[in-house]
Amino acid sequence: MEIDPVTNGNTDAVMTETAATITPSPPVPSSRLSQLTESLKLEHQLLRVPFEHYKKTIRANHRCFEKDVSSVVSGVGDLADNNWSKDVTVSRLTSLVSRLQGLKRKLEEGNNVENLQAQRCRARIDHLDSADVENITEWNNTKLKRILVDYMLRMSYFETASKLSESSNILDLVDIDIFREAKKVIDALKNREAASALAWCADNKTRLKKSKSKFEFQLRLQEFIELVRADTADSYKQAILYARKHLVPWGATHMKELQHVLATLAVKSTTECAKYKVLFELRQWDVLVHQFKYEFCKLYGMTMEPLLNIYLQAGLSALKTPYGFEEGCTKEDPLSQESFRKLAMPLPYSKQHHSKLVCYISKELMDTENPPQVLPNGYVYSTKALKEMAEKNGGKITCPRTGFVCNYADLVKAYIS
Amino acid sequence: MELKSIKDAFDRVANKQKLSYTKTNEIVQMVSQEIDKALSILKDSSSPYPTPLDHRSILAGVKKTFAENSPVNQLEAAEKELNVALTKYPKVLEKQLNTDIAKAYRNNVEFDTHIVNQIIANFFYRQGMFDIGDCFVAETGESECSTRKSFLEMHQILEAMKRRDLAPALNWAISNSEKLKQARSDLEMKLHSLHFLEIAQDQNSQEAIIYARKHFERFLESFPETQKLVCSLLWNRNLEKSPYSEFLSPALWNNAARELTRQYCNLLGESSESPLSITVTAGTQTLPVLLKYMNVMANKKLDWQSMEQLPVAVELSEEFQFHSVFVCPVSKEQSSDENPPMMMSCGHVLCKQTINKMSKNGSKSSFKCPYCPTDVDISRCRQLHF
Ligand SMILES: [Zn+2]
Repeated sequence: MEIDPVTNGNTDAVMTETAATITPSPPVPSSRLSQLTESLKLEHQLLRVPFEHYKKTIRANHRCFEKDVSSVVSGVGDLADNNWSKDVTVSRLTSLVSRLQGLKRKLEEGNNVENLQAQRCRARIDHLDSADVENITEWNNTKLKRILVDYMLRMSYFETASKLSESSNILDLVDIDIFREAKKVIDALKNREAASALAWCADNKTRLKKSKSKFEFQLRLQEFIELVRADTADSYKQAILYARKHLVPWGATHMKELQHVLATLAVKSTTECAKYKVLFELRQWDVLVHQFKYEFCKLYGMTMEPLLNIYLQAGLSALKTPYGFEEGCTKEDPLSQESFRKLAMPLPYSKQHHSKLVCYISKELMDTENPPQVLPNGYVYSTKALKEMAEKNGGKITCPRTGFVCNYADLVKAYIS
Repeated sequence: MELKSIKDAFDRVANKQKLSYTKTNEIVQMVSQEIDKALSILKDSSSPYPTPLDHRSILAGVKKTFAENSPVNQLEAAEKELNVALTKYPKVLEKQLNTDIAKAYRNNVEFDTHIVNQIIANFFYRQGMFDIGDCFVAETGESECSTRKSFLEMHQILEAMKRRDLAPALNWAISNSEKLKQARSDLEMKLHSLHFLEIAQDQNSQEAIIYARKHFERFLESFPETQKLVCSLLWNRNLEKSPYSEFLSPALWNNAARELTRQYCNLLGESSESPLSITVTAGTQTLPVLLKYMNVMANKKLDWQSMEQLPVAVELSEEFQFHSVFVCPVSKEQSSDENPPMMMSCGHVLCKQTINKMSKNGSKSSFKCPYCPTDVDISRCRQLHF
């Protein structure tokens, strides 16, 4: 501990100067507003996820339209270049027309879906816009429900997630359908089927390539391992064919892993060799589930962890004080509850720069408006609470924690800097 | 944060989407018109063309039109502008918002799912969302929440109050009268007052007076409100124009309901506000501070995962201040049992270690207060209990 020599000075001039610097800065009136703005900045996921979904729909629709139009155009080219009879030409053209009709329908439907998704994006921007200092309690309530739905979706509690979103009218603010899409893939992987995960990879090929994801490679390796595991005469042949088709293309970038896995052709799935045994373990499928969740969250701009866990960690740390763990801690403190204490256990304590005194009796803040008063026994309460007590009891004060009795006149004001 | 720039960027996306749709529609229309035209000529037997008309020349015409207009290229062009807007929007989001709030997350801490689920179930029951709570408990397979029954009773009382039926609330308050008194709650008086007003509103002064005699006597002294209530009877036909119009305010009912919730939770050993909602709101206030700190410290080696105390102070709103915290203004250290706060004779407060240091561990019997010109006598410094 160092004591600033100035604060221990002797002249009055120095005194006034230090006195000015030590007054704790009271929260500025605009602090609530800036706190609100800061908290809205945490909502990246809220805006990002539906947008990624929207973008994906737009791109997929467009790819589909382009494919249809270009095949119609080349269909006409084919007809023009070949010497078909009139009847064949008419029937080919008629089928092109019906294809175009299908395309028009798809275009209409696609546009409707896109509009709905755009609406959802907008609803979320509007939701952020609707937050202000006056309705912040209600807004935070909705936010908590959103966070709970996010938690349930990640934990696959779909029924409660839907129920809660419906009854709280927040369907536009949560991503149930997106998580349903993920659940299909996860369930299949848990059943040791890679097909839907591979289809998902194909759907998101460009994005995955851009982020240098090797998830598809990992899925392919697993499918290969399963062929080796099958251990029939035919399965080896299949495994080799599979490797040629699906694994070799990854050789340029992932040679080492590729060799490691291909070498399993030389061992049985019952091998005791640790290096290969691990490849045959069934928990490799759990690794794939985890890997999928990672890729999925990344693709949609979501956090890997449920939002609830992130908010709880931060909140618990900020609320964690040594007092919360004491016997007789006020019930208002979440950390007085066993469950919250357990969660907070591995988390850091909060840090305080300034004294903050709360009156034991009234639970009100003791500040310059309501300064702390000291009883002769050293116990401190707020002026307001003590005054009220004195008025009711003919000027007598009884210390609620020790039973000590004194007169209101015996109190001394404490100066907390 | 500029919500407006986010809105603008999104408007651009939506506009370009509309344009792209219109354009695509036009292209498809054009393609289909060309083909329809060709087809109708081919099918029309009464056409002016000689019959073994070389249908290839018609098709060649359509092909030529397509080659000139290139519908596929047009489609690509239509998408291009949309793509620019689509790429830009996430960048605007990244600029305006915190992209990764998990930066302030400790990965090495794993929450016990059962505890979290119990907390959530408790939250639903406390909020009176029993259907959802039950659904959640069933879906998660957690054991039933011990507080469900109590919260159900509490919400039944509150529901009855909403229907202006005070009987369940009064029953509860009367049977917990002693405990409420200990908690210095005026709930019982509040409920009796509301009941009295209900009787008076029914134009029944006689009965109201009987009720007042029976229930108000013991409150008259400590709650002067009750006097006013009795006086209001004089205006009972016309209360809204009387000096006592406040008694018609729905706020009275809301206050009573709030006080009942508070006291009910209190006796249950629960906080009056949901602890989950307190913690998440505190988290909302804390995360921006932590994230800012992480960004500033991004280049420094930071042992975030093992810190025992947060590296920054977070100013939570007043309602989250549950305990007195004393920070010695000289040493900036938080007081503790070993290092308690001490008040000097002038009324300024320092922690014990600081006082020891200033008195050179007691070798000086007095020193100068750092905050005022008082000479502090060590023997007169006394420990404070906040
Ligand atoms: Zn002093």
